Parts: sequence; structure tokens; C-alpha cells
Amino acid sequence: MGVIKVALPPDDKNLFQMAYGYFVTISSGMFKTWSIFWKQITKQEKSNTLEWPEQPATYSDRFKGKHFLTKREDGQIRCTACFLCATACPAQCIHIEAGEHPTNEIEKFPVRFEIDILRCVFCGFCEEACPVDAIRLGPEYVMAGGAGEKWVYTKDYLADRSELNGGIVSVKVENTKHYTVDTDLHGDNLLATDAPHMHH
Amino acid sequence: MSQETVTFSINEKEITVPKGTTVMEAAKKNDVYIPHFCWHPGLPIAGVCRFCMVKVDGRPKMEIACNLQATPGMKVFTETPEVKDTHKWALEFHLVNHPLDCPICDQAGECRLQDYYMEVGKYKSQMERPKVLKPKALPIGDDLVLDTERCILCDRCVRFEEKITKTGALGIFNRGDRAVVGTYPDKKIHHNYQTNLVDICPVGAFTSKDFRFKQRVWFLKDKPSVCPGCSTGCSVDVYAKPEVRSYFRVKPRESDVNGHWMCDVGRKTYRHMNQEERLRSGIVTGADGFRTRSRFDEAASVLAAKLLEADTNDIALLVSPQYTCEEYNAFFSFFVGKLGVKKVFQWREPTEKIETFDGILYRGDHNPNTRGLADALKKHGLPSDVKNGFDDLARSGAKLVIALVPEIGFQYPSLNAQISKLEELSFVSLWTINGTVFSHKGIAHAIPMKGYAEKKGTFVNFEGKVRELAHAFPAGSDDARDVVEVVAVLSEVLSHSN
Repeated sequence: MGVIKVALPPDDKNLFQMAYGYFVTISSGMFKTWSIFWKQITKQEKSNTLEWPEQPATYSDRFKGKHFLTKREDGQIRCTACFLCATACPAQCIHIEAGEHPTNEIEKFPVRFEIDILRCVFCGFCEEACPVDAIRLGPEYVMAGGAGEKWVYTKDYLADRSELNGGIVSVKVENTKHYTVDTDLHGDNLLATDAPHMHH
Repeated sequence: MSQETVTFSINEKEITVPKGTTVMEAAKKNDVYIPHFCWHPGLPIAGVCRFCMVKVDGRPKMEIACNLQATPGMKVFTETPEVKDTHKWALEFHLVNHPLDCPICDQAGECRLQDYYMEVGKYKSQMERPKVLKPKALPIGDDLVLDTERCILCDRCVRFEEKITKTGALGIFNRGDRAVVGTYPDKKIHHNYQTNLVDICPVGAFTSKDFRFKQRVWFLKDKPSVCPGCSTGCSVDVYAKPEVRSYFRVKPRESDVNGHWMCDVGRKTYRHMNQEERLRSGIVTGADGFRTRSRFDEAASVLAAKLLEADTNDIALLVSPQYTCEEYNAFFSFFVGKLGVKKVFQWREPTEKIETFDGILYRGDHNPNTRGLADALKKHGLPSDVKNGFDDLARSGAKLVIALVPEIGFQYPSLNAQISKLEELSFVSLWTINGTVFSHKGIAHAIPMKGYAEKKGTFVNFEGKVRELAHAFPAGSDDARDVVEVVAVLSEVLSHSN
């Protein structure tokens, strides 16, 4: 059996020489620390530390924080309740109930749209899965709360909470029907396809 | 006389079929899949979608498999690059004016256009001109919404209306890329088979108002079962979301009893199993006369105690023909065979017209197991002719009545009146899935039952065919039991007390 030596044993006789590097580095580091401390305490330099939460800290719009639902230009909610976000969601925290919209221009819309934020893992798959740019993750990150807090975000909260300043309008081209297209679902005229109905 | 046969080959595999068989049918029988839109095994051949193209050796052009009769020595190829390329460009033609509103289309997930695009398409659209716009979301039937933009003009619905229901309500109007499917002026579709149009539509042009926007199909699980709506006993698939204990729709499954179709009445036979409509817990009445909901065990032990106290001559059974043969056998073996109960009556709808038949599938006897009940009654030496037994029950002077309530409540217009009649009796135990019984104040005792999609067993249909129910889904309520399970518990409790 042999022993493989990977390092020489320390030379006890020359301790000062061995520790020299440490003393130099630590004292130069402490000099930096104390000099900045002195500069800031004498107001020669501005501190980068924020006094959060009294001072607000903002992230960029690309940050994956609290979700919001975008709107159409007329202020209606943009979501078409296609369930693709709910399908993609690995935490299964999105609950949608789809319904018939009272106007013919929009066929399907979410009657309920809820995110159980305690289950959400902020992966952003919902944002990626959405075909109409209806859901996004925004820069808001303050979500802490107590036991009495509402942890299920409702449709109204996701689209109209005060932080959104009246809602975010998506700039994506809308996929609504052309004005020449006939729809009858809520009308009285039940004829399907006789000639006067066709406009081209 | 033996039938003439033809031997030919598909993808170099020799196949022998009866003379006159088309390549499409032969391929289907031999598990070779040829993509298609307009061909449907239950409908006449139209050959309009031009999608089922196959290569026949020695012929210069592709041929459509659905309208190509097999001839001796023919060599058919379905998977060569040439064939795949043809499918790809045929699909592009179908999608030229398709609106691609999959996000709001109920067919998404079970749509042929989506499936074939992933299978043979995957091209980039070359269209520069805008799509032709057509009418959308038209309520053309009681349960139908038509979107003519999504339609690929496969003609299936038109053929269904012509050949199956013979109502001829639909037609294709205009020509070229302006062609639309629709009803004639001032006409709507009203018959009992309209949701079949939703099933046969290979795309999302027809959607069902009942199912519209309720759920995306990829969240649903489908399991085979048998429709309990009438004595025909159609094979069906029940679609549910078992994790939330909800049922969403019933669709026909191909069988020799119902072919490819089923009626719209049968399609409603999922609602009674949903939480808001079903009886989820038992009902018991305490010594103070106060009714409460209870777990199954408590309800069963209350009933067992009542049975122990009661004189056999005071017990009567009221049985509806909507339970399985196995349940009847267990029920009668216990009550008639073991306890010696003599008073057995049938629960039937007084307004029913048993002999009526609509000529397609739907029969006047709205019970799936009239024959099975008659067989079970005969087996236990009881009168088995079909008769509403409410008057006889009232005359019999029974003090303890056990009633197997009809499962499909909407097929019994007099159901609530009949339950009210039972309230006058001194003690009645309803075994039911029907949630409305709680509102009948006089009902002292109830045991929650499983729905037909939640139990195993058999129905015997009008012609004596045995229709097998698979145990499809877990029970929608923890307290729900089938009759076999209830009887097993009762008989165990009683055997311990003796």
C-alpha cells in the first residue's frame, strides 16, 4: 500500500512568511470598508442601499412577478378563455370558467379567471402559452401577506387592480371579427345562410 | 353460394375482401389508416374532400380511397412520400379560408384539421390574399351553433340530414370559396338527433350548445358505458373530469345496436350524476322527528334496525326498471329469498307509451332494463308483467316501503308527484341518486345511489341483447353505493343481529 502525497506539510518554522498574504489582503479590504463607511457617514458619497419598504424599488417590465390580464382597446378583457394557460400551468393554479359573451363580436370570454397565487411558481408558461397576449407577468413583486389575505386573484383584480392604473391595453393586433361578418347568436334573426345574409 | 372475393395489396400486404369493397373500408378493416374528412362509415360516399388520396400502381394520378373499389391484383400505397405530399397540399387547400380560431373553438383537441396538420401538414401558408369571411355563430338548431367559416364543406351533415333523419334541413349554398353550409330560409333543425351533426363534423363548424365552452376536451376522460335513456341501450362514451367529479357529455360509440348514432335525449343522461343534482348523502330521521343528512353507514344501520323490527308482511318493495340485472338479483335474493317479502311492485311512469318508436333509435319505453327486471321477477316467482304498482302499493297496507327510484329523473314527468304519494306512507326508504328527494319533507330515509357510469353490471335491452356497463368512473360521492353493495351491508348487519 502506498500513500500519495498531494501537498507538502506546512513549514511550522516560518509562520509569519506563510500568513503574510492574509494580513495584506484583510487589511486592504478593511481599509476599503472603513473608507467607504467614512465617506458615507460624512455624506461625501451616496449610499446604494435602499430603505425598503419606505423607499420603493422597481424592477423592469420583463420581471416575472404578479400576473395581470391585458385589455382590448375598448377596455374589454382580452382573454378568450381558451384554457391554454391553464393547460400549460405546471402548478395547476389557473382556474377558468368560459362563457358566451353578450356581444356577438367576442364569442367566448372568461366568466371567471382565477389564479391561486400560493400555488404559482412564476415560471411564465401561461404568458408563453397565451395566443392572444392576454396574460402577462408584471414587475410587481410584493405579494407577502397574512392569513386573512386573499390568495386567489380574481379576474377583476388581475385586470383592474389599482397598481395597473386602469388596465394594460395589449398592442397585439386584435383577432375580432370583421364588421361584415354576420353573427346571430344573440339576435332575433335565425336565418342561417340565405343570400341576403352574405356580404362580400 | 360463397361470396366473391377480391385479393389486392395495400402497402405490399396481401388483403382479401368481398367484391365491391372500397379501398378505404378494406384499409380500415386491416388497421391501415388513410386520412379522410368526408368519408364516414355510417353515411353514403361523397368523395368531396379529396383528402384520402392513395397511389395505385400503374395509374398516372392519385385516386381517392373512399370511392375506389378494390380490383384483383391492385397495388395500393398509402404512405409513400408522393402520397404524403398530396395530403399536405390538399390540407393547405382546406385551410386557405379556415379562420384558425382554435382558441375559442370547442373542437380543438379532437379536430381533424389540427391532427392532420401535425401529421402531414406543417407547411407555412403561402396565401397572400385575405381570407373569405363567412357568417359565424349561427344558432341553426335547438342544440346547434354553426360556424360557416370553420366548415371545410365535407358534406357529412348534409348527407346525415338526407339519409339518417331524412329531414333534409341542410344544404350547401353558393359556389367556390363562397360556398357555405346552412339551413333553408326560415328553417331550423328541431329533431332529436341533431347533436350527431356535432359528432360527425370533422372540424368545429357545428358545436353543441349544451357543451359549448364548458370544458376543453383534452381535460376530459372518456369511458365506455351504456345509455340508460330508453330500452334501446345504445353504446356510449361518457366524458367526465373525475378529479372534480363532474360529467360533461355523452357521445355514441359504434356498436351493432346503435350504429354510429344516438339521440339527444340520451345525451342528457350525464347531468343527474353531477354534484349539484345528485343526492350526495343519506337522509335519516332522528327520534325527535328531525331529518338530517347522514353518512351511508348510519343510513344503512337505521334501515337495518327498521327491517329487524318490521313484520315481513308489512314490508313492500317498489322497483323501477332503471337498475342493472345484478342489482335486481342481489335485491330480490335478499328481500324476497331471505326475508320472504311478498309485496313487490313496479315503479313505472303512468304517462308512458311503451310501444312507440321513432324509427331510428329512441323507444317509448324510457327504461334501459325493463326486460332485465321482468327476468329477475320471474326468477324469484313474482308477477313480471309491466304495470305501474302505485295503486296496488297503496292498497297493500305496507308500513315499510323500500323503493328503487328511477335514476333518470327527467324521463319520469310524474316523478315528483309519485314521490309525494310515497310521503303519505309511514316509513319509506328511497334508494336514489335524485337530489330533489330532500325537498320532500315526508321522506324519512334515503340512501344515495351510484350513477350508471359508476357501476358494473348489465342491462337487457328491448330485443333481449345484453348490454354491459363497465365500471367507468369512481362514484361522485363518498356515500354513494350501488344496490349490490347496500344489500351486502344490510344482510351482514341482519345476520349479526340474529
